[in-house]
Amino acid sequence: MTIWNRLKYLWPARRREEERDMREELESLGAIAGRKELGNLTLAIENARGTWGWTWIESVGADIRYSLRALRRQPGFVTVAVLSLALAIGANSAIFSFADALLLRPLPVPDASAVFDVSSTTPDNPFGGVSFPDYRDLREKSRSFAGLAAYRLTTVAATTNPAVPAQVRRGMLVSDNFFQVLAIAPSAGRSFLPEEAASPGQTVALIGYDFWQAQYAGSRSAIGSTLRINGIVFTIAGITPKSFTGLDRFVRPSIFIPLGMAQRLAGEAADPLEDRGRHELVVKGRLSADASKESAQAELSSIGVALERAYSRTNHNRHPVVRTELEKRIRETPQLLALIKMLMGLVGLILIIACSNIANLLLARARARSREIAIRLSLGAGQRRLIRQLMTESFIVAMAGGAVGLFFAYGGILLLQTLNVPSEPPSVLGVELDWRVVEFSLLAALASCIFFGLAPAWQTVRMDFVSALKAGGHGVFGQRRTLGRDALVAGQIALAMVVLIAAGMFLAGFQKMLLVTPDFRTDHLISIDTAPDLLHYSPEQTRAFYRRLVDRAQTLAGVKSVAMTESLPLSPSQTAVSVVPEGYQFPKGREKAVVFGGAAEAGYFSAMNVKITRGRPFTNDDRAGSHRVAIVNEQFAKIYWPGQDPIGKRIRLDSAGGPAAEVVGIAKTGHYLLVNEAPSPYVYLAYEQNPRPRMTLIVQSSGDPTALAAPLRDLVRSIDPNLPLFNLRTVARLYESRATGTWLQFFQMVGTMGFIGLALATTGLYGLIAYTVSRRVKEFGVRVALGASRRDVVWLVERRGLILACTGIGIGAALTAAAAPLLSAGFLGLGASSPAVYVVVPLGLLMISAAASYLPARRAAGLDPLRALRNE
Amino acid sequence: MDVLQGTLDMLVLRTLLAGSLHGYGIAKNIRSASNEALEIEFGSLYPALKRLEAKGWIASEWEMSEHNRRAKFYKLTAAGRKHLSREHSEWAEFVSAVGRIMGPAPKVKA
Repeated sequence: MTIWNRLKYLWPARRREEERDMREELESLGAIAGRKELGNLTLAIENARGTWGWTWIESVGADIRYSLRALRRQPGFVTVAVLSLALAIGANSAIFSFADALLLRPLPVPDASAVFDVSSTTPDNPFGGVSFPDYRDLREKSRSFAGLAAYRLTTVAATTNPAVPAQVRRGMLVSDNFFQVLAIAPSAGRSFLPEEAASPGQTVALIGYDFWQAQYAGSRSAIGSTLRINGIVFTIAGITPKSFTGLDRFVRPSIFIPLGMAQRLAGEAADPLEDRGRHELVVKGRLSADASKESAQAELSSIGVALERAYSRTNHNRHPVVRTELEKRIRETPQLLALIKMLMGLVGLILIIACSNIANLLLARARARSREIAIRLSLGAGQRRLIRQLMTESFIVAMAGGAVGLFFAYGGILLLQTLNVPSEPPSVLGVELDWRVVEFSLLAALASCIFFGLAPAWQTVRMDFVSALKAGGHGVFGQRRTLGRDALVAGQIALAMVVLIAAGMFLAGFQKMLLVTPDFRTDHLISIDTAPDLLHYSPEQTRAFYRRLVDRAQTLAGVKSVAMTESLPLSPSQTAVSVVPEGYQFPKGREKAVVFGGAAEAGYFSAMNVKITRGRPFTNDDRAGSHRVAIVNEQFAKIYWPGQDPIGKRIRLDSAGGPAAEVVGIAKTGHYLLVNEAPSPYVYLAYEQNPRPRMTLIVQSSGDPTALAAPLRDLVRSIDPNLPLFNLRTVARLYESRATGTWLQFFQMVGTMGFIGLALATTGLYGLIAYTVSRRVKEFGVRVALGASRRDVVWLVERRGLILACTGIGIGAALTAAAAPLLSAGFLGLGASSPAVYVVVPLGLLMISAAASYLPARRAAGLDPLRALRNE
Repeated sequence: MDVLQGTLDMLVLRTLLAGSLHGYGIAKNIRSASNEALEIEFGSLYPALKRLEAKGWIASEWEMSEHNRRAKFYKLTAAGRKHLSREHSEWAEFVSAVGRIMGPAPKVKA
């Protein structure tokens, strides 16, 4: 049959017309031949219609119409089922969007699955960047990639108006082929030309969509206009499309600059692009059609070996590694994978609880509908057809649940969006309600529909319909029939228990965290970041600037003390140092340790109240020319010099050949990046001996630290009005957002999950007990008539609820024991749970179960025996 | 005798080669042409007609019948004619092949 002929019958009017025509034709033939001669004409038309190939559409349409009519008759069931499912799917979708933002969302480029990450690894650093000369060699020699692009994230000070102080923005230094390789076409203007990106580069830039909207209100005149970046005037050549949000998960770059500008932008003496030892670039390659990840890896490995041979100084032990984007992200942040697994696991349990609830309701409904089903079966409806019709009902419920669930998900996503840590330039957690979330919700709804609908539908059509008809609307379900439903309810309670224990563990850990006093001073402190390097200060200028800033800040009214540090504890951007501790034997292949650490000024330890447990803090005598000193924390001493006296030991900075610093003091181990991190080694270096281009100023106030914000800003402006300043915030606010803010939201999240799980499981238990009571009205009537007391009847019903609850709690305990590693991996440092949780949760569940069974029990006890008996 | 599955289409096309006929006429024609050996159920002939029409091998039109009654007449299209000649040679090959295997009827001793 030609496609056209088939398609034309899709049109209902066309089908009706054709059918009229057929009827007319057969009538005329009947007049000629006689009706008897022709046989069953209805069947003939039916079969002829079958040749169009669209009868299934008509029957699906009929199923949907019938299902809607059937569902309209049971508003109670539909409400409970849709709401349960919506809550569960909403929770799942919100967590999915969170997981998407943290880990899963593919790169925002066309055909992202063909784009691979290329890093240059050493045994010391499995995620190393690639140096520009290495990148150039890989790009020239490799045939596996249709293109290899390189970029580097950077922070720049940008202003559209020279009279206004520049603001700090995230920028991307990109190779000439960056936009071609990633297949990103500018939404306006053009991308870079090869000569613009090659060293020494030209002063053209592309801007991101959001930046364009914010700074130029989306005006086309932005193209061709100028932008001062780090004091250099650039011309805007184009605007990247809205969909392109950068290649890093938590950074949305505003400005794209040719890589060739790297030297001028940073104001460096040597071209960083010519230094094979600077492994700073991120390289992404689009695989060519005939290559695979394995073949690309093999090719790059052999190129890597050749490079290692040719440049043994810089490329010793260095291997290019090809990874998918997801592999790279998982290796970079394995703790996020653990967190996501745990959260997805918990919401998955909630979805199972909700599905069991609906399956239970459907099984109960099967009894009420047994007469209808029996009639349809006896009239010749096929079992398969009936199952299809029942599944259509489930499908409609599931889709409604999925759709309403998206609204709940949106609420959750709004909550998750507030998880961002306040910082400048902002780091972005892109939790969004996008098409991926919608697709996920619908898939979850579809899977649930199969999960909760299939078994009840199967059971419904397989019943003994003769006795169903005889029983007059009360189907024949013996004791055996409720066994499955009992199992479902016990399972629900078990799963709810796992979710509640997780919530309880989290609450216990959270309380502990609230009780933890910070291991440094947070009150009466305000900090401010400046970036003189963006204005091309020389090292001397930078030191003079900071000296002046500290001196003048001390004279401000209300200032108690002033100190400087390279990184503030718990700030999301921690600096690290490479050190070689004297006398420590590294494992084979490794040559140095990369640990948290940075430069700090003499006053830092007293201002921040960081305890020096042995030895001494830095003093003003630790200056540029004097004997190099360092302070390590207790954890560092424990790892690298176990059982030895660390005072007087020496550490080499950067590498084994680097300058040596003598350990003069031991600091108490604190928390550096996260409040729940494992104890980490830390190295403090004396600022005067290790001047850094960018420092954080910490000011201790005698009164309210926020009152110092304006004077400090004015102070920086008075020294250099063009200097970008950022992260002006109190240490208390930083601590709160890092230590409790995020965790409070996580707790709300897990707590909500626990609550939903509990509510669903309780509904399930209540529904089952109420159903059993309604089935046993006659029996209770007889018992009461024979003299059973109210208490006997209540106990009879209660007992059943409690048996189910106890079974569920028992299974739940076993499940919790099995799931514990997953739970604690998701929230490091919280896993050490208080035993109280394991007592409170089962007891609470038991009480709630008792309450849920008490309502139907009281109804059973309150039955009038005469009426109950007459009713049957 | 029942009509072999799949041969009905061919029989209909062959019957229409002589000229256009209405549905009942086709059934009658096949019966008489086979000396009453083939009994075509109208109930299975009719869907076959619709199928052939959808494939574009036959076309239909309302006309007056011999008894001055309105009826839908089917006639062979050019595509149908081509299809029939192909079917015809395939059928002839099939018959001769089966004939060679079967040979003369074996003698069965009672």
